[in-house]
Amino acid sequence: MPDVQDVLVLFQTTPGLDAAVVAWSRYEASKGPGIKDLVEEEEPPYRNAIAAMRDGWQVIQMSEMKHRPPGDDAYEDGPLPYQTVLSRFNPMVTDDSEE
Amino acid sequence: MSEHLLSATQMAQFVASGYLKFEDMVPRDLCEACLDEMQNNRGYLAVGTPFETTWPKGTALGEAFRLPQVQGLIQSLVGPDPLYDHHAAHLVKGGVMKGPDMHQDSVIDFRENYYDIQLSLFPADTPDEMGGTFLIPGTQFRNVRTSEITMYQHMRGKIWANCTAGTMYVWNTRVWHGARSNHTEKDRYMYKLRLNPTQPQTRLFDMTDLDNADVAKALSHNHGWEGNEHRYELMRRVQLWRFVSDQPDYDIGERFLRRREYNPAAA
Repeated sequence: MPDVQDVLVLFQTTPGLDAAVVAWSRYEASKGPGIKDLVEEEEPPYRNAIAAMRDGWQVIQMSEMKHRPPGDDAYEDGPLPYQTVLSRFNPMVTDDSEE
Repeated sequence: MSEHLLSATQMAQFVASGYLKFEDMVPRDLCEACLDEMQNNRGYLAVGTPFETTWPKGTALGEAFRLPQVQGLIQSLVGPDPLYDHHAAHLVKGGVMKGPDMHQDSVIDFRENYYDIQLSLFPADTPDEMGGTFLIPGTQFRNVRTSEITMYQHMRGKIWANCTAGTMYVWNTRVWHGARSNHTEKDRYMYKLRLNPTQPQTRLFDMTDLDNADVAKALSHNHGWEGNEHRYELMRRVQLWRFVSDQPDYDIGERFLRRREYNPAAA
């Protein structure tokens, strides 16, 4: 069986690949179609995207700088502003309960 | 009642972090009676009506949310005559697992100088493995569309209810939050009541310690996720603090709001 793609998303408050990670998510197709029981993680798997790259993850999307509108709209807060999407191929883990 | 009002320091913590936790808020025997009532507590009452007339009397839940210490909390945040918004007995059955669940309640809410509160009562001991509700403190100023933030599976600063029976959390309804897996065999309940103010939420708390240095310290708190956004979060907090404390010129640190407001050409 060929390896399948796992995706790791690192969320940051500045766009660079060396920016600190403040939130993170795993979409690990090799382990199943979704997370059934989210286990708490106090620390991110990598301090920044470069550390993940050094562990074999490939960057498939990095953030663009944001243009800020003039006036008070420039201060509107919403989702976390930046993210880096990384990919790595891993062997499929068979889990009969997911079938 | 005044002895149960929030202090200025507690109010600043609420403004900055979006929540406060109170242990031993509801006596254990009353908690047990509340838990019994929650088993068959479904549906909403009349949304947007005065809490005092709408909220049932002669019941354990009616009594719990009328305890003087709970009333003091309510009065400090939304005034003495709030409106009932809605309630819900949230249940995570024993053995039920939860995946990513981060969300912000209701709809995008741009009302300035305004917040609703939610009171969350944990009527039974809720240890870590029982999966108490989680919150991301400080996210109440960041408007998103309900469940799109489920994409954030893990986030620095996350806390969750890990508490004894009778603990009550009060939180700004915009705080990002969600449910966690219940790894025990026992059902877990969290009883939620949302209230709206009927008056400007200004000078409602105990102002005695308004000048305490802990106020600025609380407003400046870094929860861990803010990073480069911290000063913008700080500006939001100061704006709300100005309103609730009735200090329209209040500012802290480098006085970031002054950078928006000071402009001789505009005078």
